[in-house]
Amino acid sequence: MPFTMVNTRIVEAAITPGQTMFSQRGAMLAYRGEVAFTPSITGGQGGVMSMIGRRVANEATPLMTVEGNGTVLFGHGGHYVRVVDLSGDTLYVEADRLLAFDGTLRQGTMFMGSQGGVMGMVRGQVSGQGLFTTTLEGHGSVAVMAHGGVIELPITPGRDVHVDPQAYVAHRGKVRNKLTTAIGWRELVGRGSGEGFQLALSGTGTVYVQASEEKL
Amino acid sequence: MPVASDSVPCVAHFRLHGSKVLAVDLTGDTVKAKKGSMVAYDGEMTFKKKTGGGEGLRGMVTRRLTGEQMEVMEVKGHGTCYFADRASEVNLVTLHGEKLYVEASNLLCTDGALRTGTTFTGLRGASQGNGLFTTTVEGSGQAALVSAGEAVVLRVTPEYPLRVDPGAYVAHTGRLQQHFQSGVNFRTLIGEGSGEAFQIRFEGEGLVYVQPSERNTVGGEV
Repeated sequence: MPFTMVNTRIVEAAITPGQTMFSQRGAMLAYRGEVAFTPSITGGQGGVMSMIGRRVANEATPLMTVEGNGTVLFGHGGHYVRVVDLSGDTLYVEADRLLAFDGTLRQGTMFMGSQGGVMGMVRGQVSGQGLFTTTLEGHGSVAVMAHGGVIELPITPGRDVHVDPQAYVAHRGKVRNKLTTAIGWRELVGRGSGEGFQLALSGTGTVYVQASEEKL
Repeated sequence: MPVASDSVPCVAHFRLHGSKVLAVDLTGDTVKAKKGSMVAYDGEMTFKKKTGGGEGLRGMVTRRLTGEQMEVMEVKGHGTCYFADRASEVNLVTLHGEKLYVEASNLLCTDGALRTGTTFTGLRGASQGNGLFTTTVEGSGQAALVSAGEAVVLRVTPEYPLRVDPGAYVAHTGRLQQHFQSGVNFRTLIGEGSGEAFQIRFEGEGLVYVQPSERNTVGGEV
């Protein structure tokens, strides 16, 4: 796997010839060797159509391609970095949380509203994620950013995990994602517990949760 | 003061998940937590806001009057609930009948069996920018505090009083008297102060929790 953690907030990526890596634009801290950084106008893979898709879906984060021979240090905004290794499965993550990822991974945009109908749309608004999310699929590694460290919670059938939408970072595996509300008359009169909305994740997989309710 | 045998048994189990996340295992019992601090849970949980810190009408009025407002929710259920607050470090405190004094903003979660209240702190509060009152937690059970950076626990004995920067103070337990002391002199007045013009002096027997970060206080400016 090409990523090694330097400390909790900096990740080192090994770049070998013939291999491409994508990273958030401006996230390079230092590099050794001969490495070229090219802004990716299309914002990732898949050509112009994918670019339009991402623009429409508001999942277009400025990315750059990193190529050459050497090692690069990535970090951004003092946020904690978590490396997720994928072996054939899919990671669902917000585009602005992506620090860097292997070019071997297939990047896609997914309409989250299709999971859960109207509630799916409400969920996007509540969690500030919008209606779309970015998917990464295949074999490779991803460096994801989070505010204040990440914990991993396993999801198994019959043991659902509920996550505060603001603390949700990413998830992987075959997971259904549903917004549940616990809104009663208390919320309506302004006496809510502050936990009116939760993301209920069920199925088989892992969810990544940050130790903070702050967005990036 | 031991908890009476007929009171609610404290079975909620507090543990740290990393240094910034508190995991609480619940089996049908309740804990009180800072409003909105849940980040994830599994199992079945219900969240209910407790007006005035769950101290009844009198507690509510006291908190309003003293400005020591605490937004608390009651969490009840079966499973594991995870709490975190703005990526602050979490510290666990186990109480065996003694009293913990803590700022309401630093209190993350308490066992349902613990009683909370407000107390007058004197002049110290004003220098911390926290008001004249502080929150007390009393009883037997566990409580979780949050601090900006990992808190250190300093022991105070009668021979060794401790002086703490008001902006770095988090909480204390034990039989401690606190005095407010100032090192204001002519240098401070001409704007050449060291930024350490005010301290709290703790005397007696107990523990003080200090964070490696300073809140913005009046004392820090002079």
